[in-house]
Amino acid sequence: MDAQLKRGLLDICVLAAIKGEDSYGYRIIKDLRPYIELSESTLYTILKRLETAGMLTVRTTEHGGRLRKYYHITGEGLKRIEDFKLEWKELLSIYRFVTKKEEDNA
Amino acid sequence: MRKQEFLARLRKALAGSPQDDIEERLLFYSEMIDDQMEEGLSEEEAVLAVGTVEEIAAAPAAETPPIKTAKEGSKPKRRRNAGKIVLLILGSPLWLPLGVAAFALLLSLYLVLWAVLVSLWAAFVSLAAGSVYGMLACVPFLAGGSADRGLTMLAAGLVCAGLSIFAFYGCRAATRGVLLLTRKAAKWVKNRFIRKEEAK
Repeated sequence: MDAQLKRGLLDICVLAAIKGEDSYGYRIIKDLRPYIELSESTLYTILKRLETAGMLTVRTTEHGGRLRKYYHITGEGLKRIEDFKLEWKELLSIYRFVTKKEEDNA
Repeated sequence: MRKQEFLARLRKALAGSPQDDIEERLLFYSEMIDDQMEEGLSEEEAVLAVGTVEEIAAAPAAETPPIKTAKEGSKPKRRRNAGKIVLLILGSPLWLPLGVAAFALLLSLYLVLWAVLVSLWAAFVSLAAGSVYGMLACVPFLAGGSADRGLTMLAAGLVCAGLSIFAFYGCRAATRGVLLLTRKAAKWVKNRFIRKEEAK
């Protein structure tokens, strides 16, 4: 898959993983595993990028005698997901156009 | 590998990065390892699952968010700007006349380009006019019985017409070239100014 496209998709996946409720690093990877393989180092970079872009916030809470960081989606992050859905619709119509052309030519 | 050993190696591998960044990263991987152990993995397995030190240390350089790099890049520029302004003011008696001279030189070169174009078009117009005149002027000669003069006029007119067609294409190409050059130069100047504003 195109690297740029994959990067954008991973961002959306991570946002979607924290959309319902706040989540932490390991659970995000576990939740996404059935759909997309995400390494720890990639996740770190994505979380950092999304935080810088203001799409999520981080809070640290205590868990079993140690600290754990929870990631919370912001309005900006939710908007990104909505934008993605619209973009995807456009992409789908382009896909249909491309495959229709091929069928016509066949 | 034990968790502490892994984190120590990672710290070494990340040396040179900002301290906050290193601490944040170590916390992140430490949490990851703890969470995996909580899921039932042994310490060694959990460390393996997180990835190799080399892999982790290599990741940030390849994917540092563009916003961050842009910010980092503009900071030293900002600091230098104050010194630059002082130098600009102090050096103004030197660079101002030089700058004006350079600008005048460039402007005159540019005007020369247009002057060449004007003369090229003038040549085209005179050739076109010559061809029309030659073809019209041959009529009274031919009608008056002096065929040699009439034919000479007609031939001259036709030669002028042929040359004017060539001249037209030449002039058009030259004009397009100069216009393209103007557009490129304008773009270059615009880009320089926009970049300067961003740096401020």
